[in-house]
Amino acid sequence: MWLKILKNLISRKEAIRFYKSKTQTLKTLTDENPGSQIDVERSADQAPSHEEQNTLFSGKEKMNRVFGKSLKIRQVDSGSCNACEWECTALTNPIYDIQRFGIDFVASPRHADVLLVTGPVSRQMELALKKTHLAMPRPKIVIACGDCAIDGGIFRGSYAVKDGVSNAIPVNFQIPGCPPSPTVITEKLLKLMERI
Amino acid sequence: MPENEEYKEVGKSEFRSYCIALCLSKKAVLRLMFATDERETDNCFKIYAVFSEQGTDIFHIPFFKLREDDLTFRSITDGIPAAHWYEREIMDMFGLVPKYHPDPRRLVFHDSFPADSHPLRKDWEISEKDLKEWGEGMVRKVPYDFLEVEGEGVYEIPVGPVHAGIIEPGHFRISAVGETILYLETRMFYTHKGIEKHFEGMSFHEGVKLAERVSGTSTFSHSTAYCMAVERMAGITITEKAKAIRTFLLELERLYNHIGDIGFLCAGTGLTVGNATGSKIKERLLRLNDRLTKSRFLRGINTIGGVTKDIFLHADDISLTIDTVAKEYKGLMKLLLGSVSHIERLENAGILSKNRALKLGVTGIAAKASGIDDDIRSSHPHLIYNKIFEPATFTRQEGDVFARMMARAEETKCSMHMIKTIIEGQHEGDLQVKADDIPPNSHALGYTETPRGSVFYWVKSDGEGRPLRVKLRSPSFCNWPSVPFAIQGNIVPDLPLCNKSFNLSYSGCNM
Ligand code: SF4
Repeated sequence: MWLKILKNLISRKEAIRFYKSKTQTLKTLTDENPGSQIDVERSADQAPSHEEQNTLFSGKEKMNRVFGKSLKIRQVDSGSCNACEWECTALTNPIYDIQRFGIDFVASPRHADVLLVTGPVSRQMELALKKTHLAMPRPKIVIACGDCAIDGGIFRGSYAVKDGVSNAIPVNFQIPGCPPSPTVITEKLLKLMERI
Repeated sequence: MPENEEYKEVGKSEFRSYCIALCLSKKAVLRLMFATDERETDNCFKIYAVFSEQGTDIFHIPFFKLREDDLTFRSITDGIPAAHWYEREIMDMFGLVPKYHPDPRRLVFHDSFPADSHPLRKDWEISEKDLKEWGEGMVRKVPYDFLEVEGEGVYEIPVGPVHAGIIEPGHFRISAVGETILYLETRMFYTHKGIEKHFEGMSFHEGVKLAERVSGTSTFSHSTAYCMAVERMAGITITEKAKAIRTFLLELERLYNHIGDIGFLCAGTGLTVGNATGSKIKERLLRLNDRLTKSRFLRGINTIGGVTKDIFLHADDISLTIDTVAKEYKGLMKLLLGSVSHIERLENAGILSKNRALKLGVTGIAAKASGIDDDIRSSHPHLIYNKIFEPATFTRQEGDVFARMMARAEETKCSMHMIKTIIEGQHEGDLQVKADDIPPNSHALGYTETPRGSVFYWVKSDGEGRPLRVKLRSPSFCNWPSVPFAIQGNIVPDLPLCNKSFNLSYSGCNM
């Protein structure tokens, strides 16, 4: 019995050590380029150079080490018109079948690698969005999906919206479009995972 | 002013009895109620109520004036329960207080919005500090009391605003005993984006884009109703061809929504194959949309004075796709109606009685499933509906989830039929007519049937022909209050199913 407890203790210690090393990598991952906004759609001269992207996620290995070749997404509607949501839903239909790339939508922010936010962030949703962001594990990658989420889109300037996700939480990636089609979203997510 | 709108000014004290008399004597239904701030021209606020009379194409629009010395009025909710949310909305947005309202809590704004701030007033201002605090949501300026159910064994399940799936945000409090739901309280307006105020800062022509983005899956219906309102106000008659294209796209929108919704119901009962098939057909239609209009949600087509693209150039593509869809859809329905486990879950779940639906002014699919023949395409014919729409009997009496599914199925068939008819017909005329001049100080209604029910826009221009007020009412706004009634007495696991069967838009409702 004592032996068992001892073993347990050791494994717990190991677990803590492992956890620490892992959070360290995750920390470097986000801290190397904090809050940088990378728009993969922009033309070559505007686009951040490849090195820049690589400092954020230095290639496939790092991505794979952290996320184990998969990407779990928690989608949050922060006041969108609902078209962006339907395009996200369409990703899981048999035609796009995004699960085959290891990408999936999860129910809880605690299970999520990525927060995919749609909508311009209405002020009445701001708190809920921040709480969701708080609840997710590091490195807390945030994708702003849709023109609204990027800069408020058509709703920009209204008293009830924050004009984009980056005014509420730090954003790492953007997917432009109103709404971005499932093909575009898939492409951008795969680019994020450095698969193509 | 359009012919079928009858405005009548009544005294503030007679308004309530006048409205109730309309409902009783003419069997009129309340479609819309709203306020305007006309202090600059008439030195008063005005409150309008739009009733549509059964059996005729007439809208009765009584209104009264409210002077600034007394900003209260007698609530009509006790006589016409359908006015319930409208009056609370008026209270929030204009600060006009309905006296003796049975539920005088705030509707639109949450706790941290300042108490005496009313955005739709023309002289409204808000400080940066208030805005910041509103977003942070920490200071409870006007606490909102949720109704609590007390008693032995009663417990509360709070859900949302962020839900488990890819859906819009709303907060539900379910009071249950064991599995059975005693009471459901909904808190909406998380996605309030100030759209009505935002319209006022744009020109009427720019507003089309905003109308398209009120509710994503009803894009075309919203923009059609909006354009129709502005065109009626400006006295513009669009060509037969433009009418035909609009009608066609409205039906296409209905088709992809209904088939998608029927499939989506399967997600609530665990029938994965049904869900997959439904979403596959929907995707086929969305791709057709994309080929026709360069937008999967039919954006960028409507404009004031007509449409921008001649989609009849793709007639072959359309008939081919619709034929395929019809075949696949038939297979889907056969699968669903043959799945006992699926149908059993739907039957007797989420019953909304006819009486309640009538009182709450429920519209669209939900009304049809509860035995009310509510379809604005037949009651107020517009576009080319008077030529091609045969008011078939979509109505069912059960009022349960199954009835709502079948009402959708009936409409789907009808939409496919109409699409075919429109494609085969000849439609003459240009795509657009000139629509540069917007007359000052005029107003008009625009309306159409979205996949969820009727949508209304009421627009009014100011002295320079810019928007003074744009009021929009999406079907979800009338139908949300009925959901708690339908859910009462059901078991907790059926809640998502009932909710899906209504398939209401949060964004359209919250504006
Ligand atoms: S980006 Fe466009 S589609 Fe997406 S939520 Fe905003 S308005 Fe809707």
